[in-house]
Amino acid sequence: MKTRHLLAASVAALMAAGPAMAQQTITWWDFLSGGDGVRMKALIEEFNEEHPDIQIEATTLEWGVPFYTKVRTSAAVGQGPDVMTYHLSRLPLGLEEGVLTPITAEDMEAAGLSEGDFFDSALNAAKGPDGTLYAVPFDIHSLVLYYNKSLLEGTEFLDDNGELTGIESLEDFEAALAAVKGNGASAPVSYATGDDGGVYRVFYTLLQQQGGELISEDGEILPGDSTAKAETAIATMTKWFEEGWQPEQALYEASVALFTSGKSGFQLNGVWEVPTMVDLAESGELGFEWGAIEVPQLMDERTTWADSHAFAIPVQGEDEMDPEKREAVMTAIGWMNKHSIAWASAGHIPAYKPVAESEEFKAMEPNATYSSLADNASFDPRSQIAGVASPTYDAAINIIAPAIHGYMSPEEAVQQIKDELTRALN
Amino acid sequence: MAMIRDRRRHRLVAYSLILPFVAIFSLVFAYPTFEVIRLSFTNAPLIGEGDWVGWANYRELLTDRLFYTSLKNNGYFVLLTVIPTTALALLIAILVNRLSGRVQALVLVLFFMPYVLPVSVVTQIWAWMLDFQFGVLQPAIAFFTGKPVPVFKNPHWVMPAIAVVTIWWTNGFNVLLFLAGLRNIPTELYEASALDGATKWQQFKRVTWPLLWPVTALVLTLQLILQLKLFDQVYLLSEGGPFNSSYVLLLMVYREAFQLNNGGYASAVALVLFLVIMVVSVLQFQLLRLGGKNQ
Repeated sequence: MKTRHLLAASVAALMAAGPAMAQQTITWWDFLSGGDGVRMKALIEEFNEEHPDIQIEATTLEWGVPFYTKVRTSAAVGQGPDVMTYHLSRLPLGLEEGVLTPITAEDMEAAGLSEGDFFDSALNAAKGPDGTLYAVPFDIHSLVLYYNKSLLEGTEFLDDNGELTGIESLEDFEAALAAVKGNGASAPVSYATGDDGGVYRVFYTLLQQQGGELISEDGEILPGDSTAKAETAIATMTKWFEEGWQPEQALYEASVALFTSGKSGFQLNGVWEVPTMVDLAESGELGFEWGAIEVPQLMDERTTWADSHAFAIPVQGEDEMDPEKREAVMTAIGWMNKHSIAWASAGHIPAYKPVAESEEFKAMEPNATYSSLADNASFDPRSQIAGVASPTYDAAINIIAPAIHGYMSPEEAVQQIKDELTRALN
Repeated sequence: MAMIRDRRRHRLVAYSLILPFVAIFSLVFAYPTFEVIRLSFTNAPLIGEGDWVGWANYRELLTDRLFYTSLKNNGYFVLLTVIPTTALALLIAILVNRLSGRVQALVLVLFFMPYVLPVSVVTQIWAWMLDFQFGVLQPAIAFFTGKPVPVFKNPHWVMPAIAVVTIWWTNGFNVLLFLAGLRNIPTELYEASALDGATKWQQFKRVTWPLLWPVTALVLTLQLILQLKLFDQVYLLSEGGPFNSSYVLLLMVYREAFQLNNGGYASAVALVLFLVIMVVSVLQFQLLRLGGKNQ
């Protein structure tokens, strides 16, 4: 009798709760296929286990132009995902294409987040020109300087603890390059000199460290003395090539291999290669001690190229997303940010401050060493021709890469960058 | 009466037979072509409608330096591929024709195999073979030039290198066409000329070449059209660089449409390319036919 009563009660309760508990299936698209993709899949699985009423169905698409083209075409006809990963550097282009929906205050509440939880740099990058939020930041990833302690041994650039020290200017850095060359490094500083991303990130960092501006707010390319600063940046990279300090026409994989195989004293690459280094060191295959720090101040200012992964909700063609589904999507976004400590193990710095400031993250190496850069990171210019897989990246491979290999002078290269980007902007 | 009904039925059958073709042709060729023409006069983005802007896209095109660079590169690539690949195919076909039986089939398969491969596989194979750091062909290049050359990153090497890859990839089909042409030449002509004391070279010049001319003209024209449509190899091997030295018109269409969201402008470029191909190929075919008649 008692059991039947209980059964009836629970059936009634279930029925009452029915509509509110309706299972939500979220279609999720991302472009994370490397080591960070594995970590993201683990996060999604964990989320699905914890939320029986919300199921994320994730698909990983190809990074770059293929991803963003597919997002644009599918969102326009309502066949896009419910949530997607998005590079904040590309937000202006996304707004021009009209694929992003605003993230409202209610949305943030549903996610259990508030704007104050995020680093300003990432938060501002997620906003449109009128201050409307269009994406929820997830991480900050930047260029860092990896170094090989074995190759630096015996030079004045290692302190007593075996940490990199004494690099406070371009002269210092170049002296260190010469020193590791003397210690047998065939390519003292490795970066992807034959790829768009590798060249762009180093160029933009050097430009920003001089206080230069790539695209001004009114759409001028390298305005004023930024032209000369861009020439200096390219001339510096050209010098590294001519001195034999950086590899010739290295593609991305080769540039990483040069460092992991002990042929480079330094590597200028993104934080996302941290898992590679950690895993190699753990399995004992690395053969040297390594470290990673924020890119030192080589020019006038202390800053580094950075970008952010974020979550965005694309438009659904002509329709509005069902409010309940939207709430489920925001729940997922909030959960991801609160669990982003797992994402930090892929090298990234969480954009969500409660995690980034947690004891757990502060103890995480080498992230903690370079997490200071979150405060003075240089994001890409706010322009619809900037960001991942944009005309700016094309200019890096098409113009800067040949220039630093001596096929044209820095002055010619800068002139051509101005021509091409001006053309793309109009 | 019966005849009229017959004729009517004939017509009905005829229409029903061509209907599938007309329907598919209208759907996948006529309609898109019309749309491209219409879009080229608007400022439409990639998706959605734009405003009518008249000839503005074309005016912009005529002042666009990248357009002339691309056009020039397209022309350069045609020079690098069309005649060399035709000559090479003819040579291979003549040599293969001298073989017989299984050996001939085997050799033919070897020459035809690259044609079966998808373009991404072809470019990947060559990108590895010519890789600057690890490519197996770099020692050979270094033997002639004194040092390894990053072929797809060097403004002087990039187009010839893409041409070599393209010829290697597509030549098998031309060999087949030539072989079919060679087999159509009656053997009596060779026997008769041999009896008259003609040398091999005279036989080639007086028998093979003139009788093969229709095939040669066809191959040249097909190649011209194909090579003007260059896109995949450039996109996969050099992305148009370094400093636009391998930028071609179709790459421009792609960048404008999918990256810069300028559907209207991209349509204008595409239409110009379409017209260029049409005019050049018709002109060439007519010239070649005239050339054939004069022989």
